[in-house]
Amino acid sequence: MTDPHDQTGAHRVFEILHEPDWFTGLTVREARLLDGALAFHCLVRPGERIRATVLRTDGPHLPKLTDHATANIEWPDDRAVVGTIEAHATGHPVSTTGVVDVVLDLGGPPQSLMRMEQPPGRLHAARNAARRRSPVAFDVLRQLRTDRLENRRLSRPIPRVGRLHETTFGSSRGSTKAVLFGLHWLELGGAEKWAAATIDMAREAGLLPIVISDRPSGHPDIEHATFDDALVIPLTHPMSGQQESRLLSQLFERFDIRGVHIHHCTWLYQRLPWIRAQYPGTDLIDSLHVLEWRTGGFVDIALRLSNVMDAHHVISPQLRDYLVDRQGLPREKVQLATLAGLTSDRTAADARPAPTRKVGDPLTVAFVGRFTQQKRPYLFLRLAAHLRKTHGDRVRFVMHGDGELASEVRSHRSRLGLDPVVELRGPDQPVPRTLDEADLLVISSDNEGVTLTSFEADAHGTLVLSSDVGSQASVVVPDLLLPRAPLAFLQKGEALVAALLDDPERTAELLDRQHERVSAFAALPDARDWTRALYERWAS
Amino acid sequence: MTTTKVAAVIVTYNRADKLGKVIEQVLGQDRPADQVIVVDNASTDSTSAVLDAYQDRETVHIERLTENTGGAGGFAHGMSVAYERGADFVWIMDDDCYADTGALRHLLDGLSAAEKSMGMRLPYACSVVKWTDGDVCEMNNPEPTWDWGKLLARGEQSVLVNSCSFVSVMFPRWALTQFGLPLSEYFIWFDDQEYTRRITAAGPGIQVLTSTVTHDLAVNRGVNFGDVNDSNMWKFEYGVRNEASYRWHHEDPFAALRFAQRLYSGLAGGRVPWRLRRRLAKKFLEGVRFDPKPAFPRTVL
Repeated sequence: MTDPHDQTGAHRVFEILHEPDWFTGLTVREARLLDGALAFHCLVRPGERIRATVLRTDGPHLPKLTDHATANIEWPDDRAVVGTIEAHATGHPVSTTGVVDVVLDLGGPPQSLMRMEQPPGRLHAARNAARRRSPVAFDVLRQLRTDRLENRRLSRPIPRVGRLHETTFGSSRGSTKAVLFGLHWLELGGAEKWAAATIDMAREAGLLPIVISDRPSGHPDIEHATFDDALVIPLTHPMSGQQESRLLSQLFERFDIRGVHIHHCTWLYQRLPWIRAQYPGTDLIDSLHVLEWRTGGFVDIALRLSNVMDAHHVISPQLRDYLVDRQGLPREKVQLATLAGLTSDRTAADARPAPTRKVGDPLTVAFVGRFTQQKRPYLFLRLAAHLRKTHGDRVRFVMHGDGELASEVRSHRSRLGLDPVVELRGPDQPVPRTLDEADLLVISSDNEGVTLTSFEADAHGTLVLSSDVGSQASVVVPDLLLPRAPLAFLQKGEALVAALLDDPERTAELLDRQHERVSAFAALPDARDWTRALYERWAS
Repeated sequence: MTTTKVAAVIVTYNRADKLGKVIEQVLGQDRPADQVIVVDNASTDSTSAVLDAYQDRETVHIERLTENTGGAGGFAHGMSVAYERGADFVWIMDDDCYADTGALRHLLDGLSAAEKSMGMRLPYACSVVKWTDGDVCEMNNPEPTWDWGKLLARGEQSVLVNSCSFVSVMFPRWALTQFGLPLSEYFIWFDDQEYTRRITAAGPGIQVLTSTVTHDLAVNRGVNFGDVNDSNMWKFEYGVRNEASYRWHHEDPFAALRFAQRLYSGLAGGRVPWRLRRRLAKKFLEGVRFDPKPAFPRTVL
């Protein structure tokens, strides 16, 4: 097996003093997590020897790689010691006086980590039990709360950090041109799918990708080719303030970081004023995907930090209008560039899809997406149950995806008597096949930016019914937009599907209108073009 | 570099005789609107034939509604379409409003200068509305703010206002994002007052004194409750319901009572028959129960 350490950019910042035999026995995922952790500890203690005790577990525990706990040489009983290893930062003489001990817990296997994160306490347990038992009723209350919070949030101004007067001199910098990326975690779905594309583009432009992730992340996607030769540091919190500044200053001093590109990374957002003060020549930008009405999400964090940032890239017109029109950011600071072509070929926008269903065939209704609270798969199941009751075998259903609600989806399906009617497909099966088979794609999410599956569905001639959230109105025909409120969603959704069951002409007409919308959206500036041009400027 | 896109919105209903001139005056601006959206409120005269002549004009977009939604519904629809089509500013007017050649340019320049001078975004700029004889049009006088002369004192040709009519007024896109569209449920009358008052939550509007239009009304007379009669009663019914609703729900019950008192005095002064007064009193009470909420335009592209 190839030494996993050679595949990452970590060797640029530290050296392993004595590589132990067990090192090559790690999975690629574990080796990359370990590399990231060692990179962190060597960078925050340049000149010192780091002696790491490496742990793993079979239980559902997230990695602990950079937080305070790594200084503690006691660990829970269910952890097994993988081995020990010594390393030190490159570019500094190795200390002969002693070592610094750290304990690096690589956490449990990825399968054990795919579960709902559950805050502790009886109240949360009761809340979760209620949600599991009656997800639709629970969602009714949840959406009412969303409405209330949305109104309250919009009526309050978002505080902003003060502007910094540019200083002409910053701290010293290294020579290798690089981009510092901030990611939420290392699962390459949703916003991180775009993050991965930008990491690849940075590499193509001749810039070293340095990737920091914010949330404890044991995801297998760290093995993805996107992270080959990148310096990946998966943070776990809390860290000490001194370590945080040392980490960033070491990165800036070792590399010529031309720009910081944040994709949903709260930790890095909050350090931008410091970066602006210390390294004023660095471009600071972010990519924003979705407005989260309950919390404001990353969009509000970006607004708070906007005074120290150079540009915001947004993927939907809704976000552009929110930032410019509602929050008053200068229009030239907000760049709309869509991800329309990220999963489907933009040239396919010219091809006009046609419905393939023949008269008498059952109507295939699909759900494609992660089984998470945001996507509300239980709403799709309830819709399926209603349609099954009214139309029997004339409608069939496919649910394609996986995620933290997977076991609940299975149990709801059984409870609703839908086992023979709703086919479940895992991520090992190709999405295009599902979309080819489907006549209707239902997007039941309670929040979105613009779903990439809408573009894919259109390319496969599949009509999209969607909850009216985010910028979905940009790509979904108005007649096929459903209310976000669950009961109204089900009522209108059922009526729409029933109306399309025997009306192929209307289906064809709606498909035409959908294609016009998707094509008009696809004609907006492309995120890849904008980012490529930006990175080329950074690389020059 | 960014360019400012202006959409002109004209709402029309059975004014085929004047509509052509209105559109020509908009198209003939020395700073042309980037698109002209004409909303036909299901006219039953020859409006359709007038609009056919503009069907193929690149910058003209025609929206033909299937039912008459009133001025309020027409403006809400037209502004929503302008927003969806990416307009940065929406300049709206009735179908009997002839804009002088520099009207739009002056609105844009005046708003930009006023924003610079005030150091804030301002939610609208309206024109001076004249009648056909060149005198001021009584129906379309904006209500000035207490410090209306602030910009005049600074050498600008604009005054600060609290409200204005929908006869040549321009809104920036952000005002629509933040405050939504006019209340189409009002159908007609007071929709302009409610909307411009609603959006002054963000700051005062301005009347640009160099931007002028002509309102081709049959007579130069403002709204006066003493003029109520059987033929114009339907309009006053909407007006009373809408203003009562606004005063009660968006100001306070005392403001509604002051309006009731003004209504009573006006009707009494004009010796309006009691049966009409009773109908208007019912409309006043209807207004207290009537509280429509604004719709927001969709961001599509």
